[in-house]
Amino acid sequence: MNKIFIFALFAMIFSASLWAGNIDLVTLPSREGVQLTIYNSEDITLVKEWRFITMKKGLNKLQFSWANTLIDPTSVEFRPVEHASEIEVADTTYPGQKPQHLIWNIRSQFEGQVKVEVMYFTSGLSWHMDYVAITNPEDTDMKFEGFVRVTNNSGEEYENAQVRLIVGKINLVEKIAELARRRGLQAPPQPPSEQYDDMEKESIMDAVSKAEAPMKRASGMLSSAPKAVVKEGLSEYFIFTIEGEETVPNGWSKRMRALKADDVKFDIVYRMRSFEYGPRPVRFLIWNNDEKHNLGDSPLPDGRVRIFRDNGRDGLSFLGEKDLNYVPIKAEIEVNIGEDDFVVYKALKMSSKRSNFHFYTSGSSEYVDGWDEEQNWAEEVRNYRDKPIVFELRRIWDGDVDYASEVKTTLFDYRTTEVKFTVPARGKNAIPARVVVHNGSNAKQSRVELKEGK
Amino acid sequence: MSIYNKCSVVCAALLLTLQPFVWARIKLATLPQRERVEIQLDNGRYTLVEEERIVTLLKSTAQGNNLIDFAWSNTQIDKNSIQFRPLGISEGDKFRPIKKAKTAAGQEVDEVSVINVAYPPNENALVWEVYALEGCAVKVRVSYLIGNFNRIFSYRALANKDETLLTLKNFMKVQNYAGEDFGSAGVWAGFAERFEKWIGQQDEMLMLLQAFVDVPVKKTYLFDWYTYGQLNADKPFASRILMYYVLDNDKKNKMGLFPLQPGKARIFIQDGKGGEAFLGEDWARFTPIDDEMKLYLGEVQDVVCTRTIEKNERKTVRGNLFDQEIIVKYEIENFKDKPCTLRMLEQMNRIAQEYAGFSHGDVEWEKKIIGTSRDITFSYDDGGVLPVLQVELPARPKEKDKKVEKKIFRFHFTLKNMW
Repeated sequence: MNKIFIFALFAMIFSASLWAGNIDLVTLPSREGVQLTIYNSEDITLVKEWRFITMKKGLNKLQFSWANTLIDPTSVEFRPVEHASEIEVADTTYPGQKPQHLIWNIRSQFEGQVKVEVMYFTSGLSWHMDYVAITNPEDTDMKFEGFVRVTNNSGEEYENAQVRLIVGKINLVEKIAELARRRGLQAPPQPPSEQYDDMEKESIMDAVSKAEAPMKRASGMLSSAPKAVVKEGLSEYFIFTIEGEETVPNGWSKRMRALKADDVKFDIVYRMRSFEYGPRPVRFLIWNNDEKHNLGDSPLPDGRVRIFRDNGRDGLSFLGEKDLNYVPIKAEIEVNIGEDDFVVYKALKMSSKRSNFHFYTSGSSEYVDGWDEEQNWAEEVRNYRDKPIVFELRRIWDGDVDYASEVKTTLFDYRTTEVKFTVPARGKNAIPARVVVHNGSNAKQSRVELKEGK
Repeated sequence: MSIYNKCSVVCAALLLTLQPFVWARIKLATLPQRERVEIQLDNGRYTLVEEERIVTLLKSTAQGNNLIDFAWSNTQIDKNSIQFRPLGISEGDKFRPIKKAKTAAGQEVDEVSVINVAYPPNENALVWEVYALEGCAVKVRVSYLIGNFNRIFSYRALANKDETLLTLKNFMKVQNYAGEDFGSAGVWAGFAERFEKWIGQQDEMLMLLQAFVDVPVKKTYLFDWYTYGQLNADKPFASRILMYYVLDNDKKNKMGLFPLQPGKARIFIQDGKGGEAFLGEDWARFTPIDDEMKLYLGEVQDVVCTRTIEKNERKTVRGNLFDQEIIVKYEIENFKDKPCTLRMLEQMNRIAQEYAGFSHGDVEWEKKIIGTSRDITFSYDDGGVLPVLQVELPARPKEKDKKVEKKIFRFHFTLKNMW
C-alpha cells in the first residue's frame, strides 16, 4: 500500500494557524513513473518519481507526506520537469504538528498541468549479487551466472519501477535510516560533514542523471520477454540497469539474472599452505573476469558464489561456496572449494644434524651459543585423480635459513618458499629438501636464502 | 505426492496478468509431482537435493508470464541455494533440449527461461516467473541444499580365526531429519554405488557401500613407552602394549577403490564354530588411498616388554657440547600360542630430554651397528625422530616343562651434539 502522497492544497491557506486546523481540500496526483537507484555499499536508495500537477498562477501549496517509511526528510527535493523557468519553490515548511510531512510553497507564472519530479533518499531498499557456477564433468569449462536480488523493506510499495543498481563504494557521513528517524533539535553539523554531505549528494545526483540513457532504452521492452541487465561504467561506479520495469512490494525481494556466460574455461590448482588453509591441500577454481573467459562486461560486485559440478550422472554435485569480493574487469577470480580426498600431501622431517658450532668463553669454560641445524625433508604429493593436477606448495621458515631442493623453488616472500609442479594422473611427486637453519649467534639474518643443489 | 510432503511446487495455471495477483498470494494452481529425486551426499558438509518435475507452461504474452510457486514448511532448506533449471521440452514421449528461438518481434530467446524469482515476506516460499515462447510441458529440475539430512559412515570388520584375512564392510547411514518425505530417491555418497531408496521423514537407513572381502590384515602390537606409560605398579619398566589390525587401502590388498571416510568400526572375529565374537570397536580415521587404516583392538596382556636403559654415558665434545651414548634394552616375553610381531616406537626427542635435558629442537642421533640387535627392523614412517623397531617373537613353547623364552633386544645409539 502506498504511503507516500502528494496533495495539491486548493484551500488557499495563508497562515500557519489555519494549517494547524487541518482543514484540507486536496487532490491526489498519482505517480506517473518511479525510478529506484539502489546502492549496495550503503543503505541508501535514490528515488525519483514523476507526477502531473495542475498549477495556477501565483502561490501554490503542495504537501508531501511519507508516513511509516524510511525517507530522509532532508533529502526531499521538488523540481518541475516542464516550464522550469516559470515555476520555483519559494520555501519548504516542515510542520511541527505533522511529522513526516512537508509543504512546498511554489510560485508559478504558468497555469496548467505540469510534470514534476520529486526526488529523495530512502533506506530499506537493498540489493546484492549472488553467483552460480556449474562445471562440466571434465572440470574444464563452466556455466557462470550472476543474479541481482533486490529487497524492499522500505515501507513503501514501488510498482512498475525502473530499477538501477549502483556498484561501488560511496561515502555517507550520516546514515539515511537515522536521518529518517530523527526529529527535533539537532546538533549543528560539523563543517567537514556538511561539505562532504553536499559533495556526496551532488556526486550521486550527477551519476544518476548521467545514467538516464540505458534506462530510457530499456523501458521500451515488453515485460514478459526475458530481461537483460544493462551494465555501464560511470565515474568510479558501475550501474546495472534492469530492463523494463519491476515491482518489488514492501517486504518482498526479487532475484533476476544479471549475467550469463557459457563455456567459461577455468583452471584447477591445488594449494598446500598449512599456515593459511590448514593441514590438507585445498582445491581452487581459477578464472578471469575477462573476454577470454566470456566475461568482463562489468566488474563482479560482492556476492556469494556457489559452485556445482555436473557429476556426469544426470545430476549435480555441490562443490562449495564462497563470498566473492568485488572483482574488477580482467581481474582473477579464485574460489577455494576445500579439501579433496583424492589428493594427499605428506611432509616428514627425516633427520636433523648439527654442525658449525660457535662457543662463547666464560672463565675457562666454553658454551655453545651458535650452531647450524641441517634438516632433511621428504615431502610427497599423491594424486588419485584421472588427470594431472597443478600443485602449489608454500612453506614458511622462521629464522636464518638456507634452502636447497632438486625441485625448482622460488621465494614468495623473505621467509616463504614456493614450489609449483604438476603431479601426473594417478601419480606422485617427491619434493626433497635440505634446509640449514642458522641458530643462536650463527643467525645473521631472518630470511630464507635459496641455495643450489640437493 | 505423499501427504507428508512439505516441499511443494505449485504451477499457476493462469498467466500473470496483474502484478497484485501474485503479491496477494492467491493461487489457482496445478501440483506437478516429483518425477525423480536425487540426494547428493558427496559434499561432507552439505546435502544437495535435486528433484525433477514436469510443469505445464502457457505461452507468455505481453501481459505476463507463468508463475511457479515453490513452498516448504518445517524443513531446513537454504532459501538462497534454490536453483530452478528447465531441462527439456516434451516432444512426443521424450523431452528434447531447450533451444534458442525468435519471438514474433525478432528477439532471440530461450524457448523457456526464468525471468526472475520473487521471495514473499515471512514465508518459506518463492515464486519463479517463467517465460515460455509457446505453451509446453517442461521437465524442470529444482535443486537446493537442505539441513538435517546427514550421512554417517561406519565399518564392520570380520577377521578369520587366524587373523590373516579380514572382510571389511563399509556402510553409510543416511538420517533424514530434514522434515521432508522424499519418497523414492537416488542417494549417492560421491563414491561407490548409487542407491535408489524410499526415504521418509525421520527415516534412518543403513546401506552397504562396499564390502572388501578377504583383505590381508596385519595384526600388530605397538609398544610406545612415552605415550602409553607403565603397564602397572608391579612392572614399572614394562609399558602397555596396544593391539591393532592394520589394513592397506590399496589395490594390492583388494582395497584402494576410494578414500575411506572416518567412522566407527566394530570388529568381530570368526570363532571357528560358525559364529562370531566381538573384539571391540574403534573410530576409523580418514584413510586416503595407499595409506594404512589402523583399527585399535585393545591392550594385549600376553606379550610383556620390559624396557630399561642399559647404558647412559656422556662424552664431552668441546666446552658444554657433548654426545650421549645410550643403549635401550628390551626384554620381551610372548605368552601367546602364536608368533607375533612387536613394533616399538621410540621418541628420540623425549629420550634426549629425559636423559640429557636437551631442548633445542629435534635431536640429532645416530644408530650404532655394534650393540644394536641385528634382528630389529627399523622403519621411519612418522619421521626421523620417531623410529619404529620391529621384532619377531616366537610363540610360547608347547612343551609343558619349557618356559617362555625371554627375548632380549638392544637399541644402541648416540645422541649427538647436545648441550
